[in-house]
This record gives sequence, structure tokens and C-alpha cells, in this order.
Amino acid sequence: MGNILASEFLKLRRKMVWFLVVIGPTGVIALQALNYGLRFDFLMKQYASDPWGYLMINVSNLLVPALLMGMTIISSMIASLEHQTNAWKQTVALPVGRTRLYLGKFGVTALLLLGSTTLAMVGTILLGLLLGHELEALPWKSLLIAMYGSFLSALPYLAVQVWLSVAISNQAVPLTIGIAGLVVSIFVLNGPSSLDWLPWKWPFLVRAEPMYSMVAGLLTGAVFYLLGTIHFVRKDVG
Amino acid sequence: MMTDIVIETKGLTKTIGGRNVVDKLDLKIKRGEIYGFLGPNGAGKTTTIRMLLGLTKPSSGEVRLFGKSIGKERVALLRKVGSLVEYPSYYGHLNAIENLETIRLLLPGVKKSRIDEVLSIVRLTKDAKRMVKGYSLGMKQRLGIAAALLGEPELLILDEPTNGLDPSGIIEIRELIRSMPARYGLTVLLSSHLLSEVGQMATEVGIVTKGKLIFQDQLEVLKGRSKQQIHIGLDDRQRALSLLHANGFKAELSGGSLYVPQGDDKRIAAIVRMLVQQGLEVSRVEEQGDSLESVFLHMTGGEGEL
Repeated sequence: MGNILASEFLKLRRKMVWFLVVIGPTGVIALQALNYGLRFDFLMKQYASDPWGYLMINVSNLLVPALLMGMTIISSMIASLEHQTNAWKQTVALPVGRTRLYLGKFGVTALLLLGSTTLAMVGTILLGLLLGHELEALPWKSLLIAMYGSFLSALPYLAVQVWLSVAISNQAVPLTIGIAGLVVSIFVLNGPSSLDWLPWKWPFLVRAEPMYSMVAGLLTGAVFYLLGTIHFVRKDVG
Repeated sequence: MMTDIVIETKGLTKTIGGRNVVDKLDLKIKRGEIYGFLGPNGAGKTTTIRMLLGLTKPSSGEVRLFGKSIGKERVALLRKVGSLVEYPSYYGHLNAIENLETIRLLLPGVKKSRIDEVLSIVRLTKDAKRMVKGYSLGMKQRLGIAAALLGEPELLILDEPTNGLDPSGIIEIRELIRSMPARYGLTVLLSSHLLSEVGQMATEVGIVTKGKLIFQDQLEVLKGRSKQQIHIGLDDRQRALSLLHANGFKAELSGGSLYVPQGDDKRIAAIVRMLVQQGLEVSRVEEQGDSLESVFLHMTGGEGEL
């Protein structure tokens, strides 16, 4: 498995993907820095009761849409590497099982986005410190949930995007569906709890209902990952 | 050496949209052969090759490589196979070494030094550090062949390897392929819609049209089927014809030209000497080169390109 990932990462050399992985979380943190910078005194008074908590809410409100967008774009870029010169026929004819090839594609996408998530978390801590919040008061558990919890509960979204991007060579299709999904998720994010079953809501719901959102995300994500694998294994290539 | 049959298909069929693109194909390819897989465009060559590599599943029938069914041991069997299907696949933003490294990582037991070896085999060493998107088609094709050779395969499957190449590229690849069984002991399956091209490389030929295999034998047998004739250009053809017949040589006039059957050099030399000694002006003695092509055209029903 290590070799498949090494091969996938080698294919990303000199690619824009790396720029996206860094610019996404950096942009989110920069926007929040601007937000706090412009009305520092007002916000500090407003958030005095729980400065870290409010910072996390602010960051993750921007981070989740950015993460969903990143899942759409990066899945598409990773799959495009093979679609461009139909390298699938070369890759699939190598002595590697298709299940593992698909896992490699999913794995490299997930790792890149986990990297972005980690950068966002580090950025949040740095921004908090810069704003004068005390490190001792940092609620680690809430922070991890706001960051990696969002990622876990967005797994169904990622699994669907990887599946579509790999299965359909015309990347307009997965990109359109991904962006439509993002719109839906922003639409339902403040919706009533009767809509909590909607996967698009989970990445936003995770701060209020961490266990539910993460477990539902993980299980639903696994289902879509499995469906994607089965489809890829049976697919005619070439 | 377990078996001498490297590729064997039994009743291989692929139905796409209700049409049998490949129809009950029984291929048999022996070790060490260069097998020319011929047919007009759209005859089902590429589809067959995709099934050989497990890229596509047959609708019915079976593919056996090295005596084992590909359905069951695909991954283990593919380790011994190198392939280039249709136009080459590559990652344009990577250089040749990086391209090959992405493949090497997935081939168990292939050392890094092998990349330099295959690059020198296809003569890309000089351009190895350039990004592949700047390569000419011929160079990309050669990179594809390098990729196919990377795992030191026992079987090389090349689909239209000289497609889109210029004459010098074609000659280069032809020489490369021709030297392979001798130098590396491998078996080569080579598809093409050009008989003239395969005729210069292959030892064994299979001809497929409309998904059906209509000929499979040694190239010599195919050549034997073509009525090779020698065209003799001279001034008085009628007189030449009667002279030849009088001296016991077979000859015929067709379309105002004089033909004698292909034969050993001595007999042709004797004919020419006799004609010249009789005072006839012999201006041309040439082999009717197209007859192999016409056999092919005839077999494939005269359709499609050559």
C-alpha cells in the first residue's frame, strides 16, 4: 500500500494541488484574522465568556465550506491525472488489484485534505494566541472535533466525489455535483433538527452533535467508498 | 518452462450494444514468437487486447496467459506482461524518469537502475529529464514501450505501436521490436492494420475481421497464399511470350504486361538471359509487391484501410 501512495504522490509533483492544500486553510485563517483585526475590541467584549470557543465557531464556519470545495476540486484533480491521457489503461494493466488502486486514489485525496485540516487547526491555535487567548484555556477536545470531526462527518461527500471523479472522465459532472452539494449544505446548515439526517448537514452539525455526526459520516462514507470500489473493480477500462 | 503457449483464448467474445465486437476468437501464441495481430480498423483488435490484459471482461469465453486463466490470477499474471494499448499514456508534467518511477513503484522487485536501462533501450536517455508533455509523439510512444519493458516482462503486448510515427520512428521501433525475442527472450503480440508493417516483424500472423479470426498461421504460409509474380517490362511482349512458352517457362500476358511466376533466382536469371540473347530489350524485372496486401484485402473482404 505504501508503494501505491508513493506512486500517487509522485504524480502530484509540480501540481497545483499543493498550492490548493495550503491556500485553503491559509485563506480561512487570514479571513478570520481580518475579521478580528477590523473589530477587535468589539469582538473581544462579545466573546469574553469563551474566546476560544467563538474563534473555533468562526473558523469552522468558513472551513467547512472550504473543505467541501477542496474535496470536490482535489478529487477531480487526482482523477484527472489518469483521465488526461487515459492512463487508466496503463495503471490497471499493472500487477496491482483494482481495489488497491482505488484505495490509493481515495487515500491520497484524503491525506491531502487531512493535511489541509491540520494546517487549519495549527492556524486556529496561532491566531488565538495572536489574539491574546491563553493556551491553557484552549479546549483541545472541542478543537479536534471542530477540525477532524468536520472532516470525518464530510466523508460521505468525499467518497461520492472520488467515486464520480474516477468513474466519469468528463470532470464537469463531478465538479457540478460537488458544488451543488456545497450549496445544499450551506442552505441546510441552520435548518431545523428535522433535517439532521441529511449528510450535507453533518459537517456543520458536528460541533453540536459530535458523536452522531462523526459516526454517521464514517458509516455513510464507508458505504459510498465501498460502492465506488465495486464500481471501479467491475468497470471496463480503456 | 511450464508451457510453450503464452497466450491462449477460447471462444473469446465481447458483445457491445448487441453486436459481437469480438466473436469466438481462438488465439494461440507460442513462446518466442512475434505475433502480428492484423485486421482493418474496427475489427476488434484493441478490444481483444483489452481483454487479454483484464481491462475489459469478456462477455463469454476465456483468456489464458502462461497456461493460467486471467480471471483468477490476474495480478500475478500481469506481473509477467508489459503492455502499450493504443496511444501512449503518460503524465505530461513529469519527466521520463518520474513517469517510469510511478510505474516501477507498483512493480514488485524492479530495481531503480532498471529505469536507466529501459530508457537507453528506447534511446531516451538524453531527454530523460525533460517534461514529457514537450515530447514528440514518437518519443511518447518510445516512453510507452520503455514503460512496457520496465518489469522485464515475458510477454509484450503492443497495440499499434507505430501509429502516428514518422518513417524514421517506424523503422526505429520496428528494429527494436524485431530484436526483442532474440535479446530478451520475450514473446511479442503486435497489433496493426498495416500488413506491410507487420510483415517485416512478425513470425506468426493472425488476421481478424468483424471480430472473427479468419487466418492464423506462420507468415510464410500467408506469403505462400499470395501469387507472387515477376513483372518483366520489354518491347515485344508477344514474341517474348511465345519464346518463353517454347522454352518451357510459364508466362502470361495480363493487361498488356508480361508476368512470370515467382521462383528461385536461377530460373529468373535464365529467363532474362534468354530474352536478352534473343535480342529483346528488357527494361524492367520487378516483383509484384502488392500481392500480399491484396491477399489481405481479399481475406478481410476488401473493406477498411490497409
